[in-house]
Amino acid sequence: MTGIQVLLISGVVFILIYYISRFRNALFDLLVLAAFAGVGIFFILFPEYTNVIAKKLHVGRGADLLFYSCILFFIFIIVKLFARLRRLEDKMTELVRRDAINEAKNMDNSNNPG
Amino acid sequence: MTNPEKVFVVIPAFNEERVIRDVLLKLLPFHYNIVVVDDGSMTKLDSLLKNMPVYLLCHPVNLGQGGALQTGIDFALRNKAEYIVTFDADGQHEAAEIEKLLIPLQEDKADIVSGSRFLGTESKNVPAGRKFLLRSARYFNFLFTGLLLSDAHNGLRAMTAKAARKIRLRQNGMAHATEILSEIRKNKLRYAEVPVTIHYTAYSQKKGQSAWSGFRIFFDILLNKIFR
Repeated sequence: MTGIQVLLISGVVFILIYYISRFRNALFDLLVLAAFAGVGIFFILFPEYTNVIAKKLHVGRGADLLFYSCILFFIFIIVKLFARLRRLEDKMTELVRRDAINEAKNMDNSNNPG
Repeated sequence: MTNPEKVFVVIPAFNEERVIRDVLLKLLPFHYNIVVVDDGSMTKLDSLLKNMPVYLLCHPVNLGQGGALQTGIDFALRNKAEYIVTFDADGQHEAAEIEKLLIPLQEDKADIVSGSRFLGTESKNVPAGRKFLLRSARYFNFLFTGLLLSDAHNGLRAMTAKAARKIRLRQNGMAHATEILSEIRKNKLRYAEVPVTIHYTAYSQKKGQSAWSGFRIFFDILLNKIFR
């Protein structure tokens, strides 16, 4: 096995182990991740096959195909993350607002010492 | 002439402790209900506003002007407001002009009234850069909401309680100015513009919106369109 293959496979295995140790509960997610890991390791060990697929899609090399796919994938992930952030922000706003309204003070009759 | 107790003036404030007391003192003679929303300022306003006949609401963290406005509006509605006015905390607005904004509402000619600094009266004080920015911003607003107002970003507005209930500001940041237009359009509210005076002091200039925030607003609105 070449150096880069060792490196990449270790990376995949590490992510898999880290995921298993942290997120035990979601079985479905784990299966999906394992499938991806399997496919990943396969292509790491036999990179020639990426060229086969790439040629079918009229892309120069397997690596280029992987690159393009990754870009799309990352954009997708970022969009999802952003939507998630928006929802979080909405929830936080709701909490802050509710508290602010409930704790509203009428400064005129305020008995607060300050 | 409406009962001033039915009018709630919502003032979002972020780090305005230098001028807020003066602004409030100028408002008090009109006997409106005043709602100050402290949007996570570094200096708490409790001691500054002690014994003033105003309501003080506090956000523990800074949400943004839009967020503070919506909080104030919700509070006003809960307290049976009939008219809700939004007013800036930095002294740019004139308390006496609130009356002007209420007239179209009372005459039932509009559901929401916006002040405009470009409707003929004094726009001579508007700094050139700001003027250009605002003039272009109104077309930007038109692009996104289909409504062309003469002043793209004026914090002095008045609305009926009915209109306020229909409007939902989800943009916490400065993009609320555009969002309110699309809410007006969505709910088919009648709007009007009334000329108002904006006082540009050295203080308010320093705190004013930079051109960079224009970009931020643009992206907020664009993303809002995509994700809602």
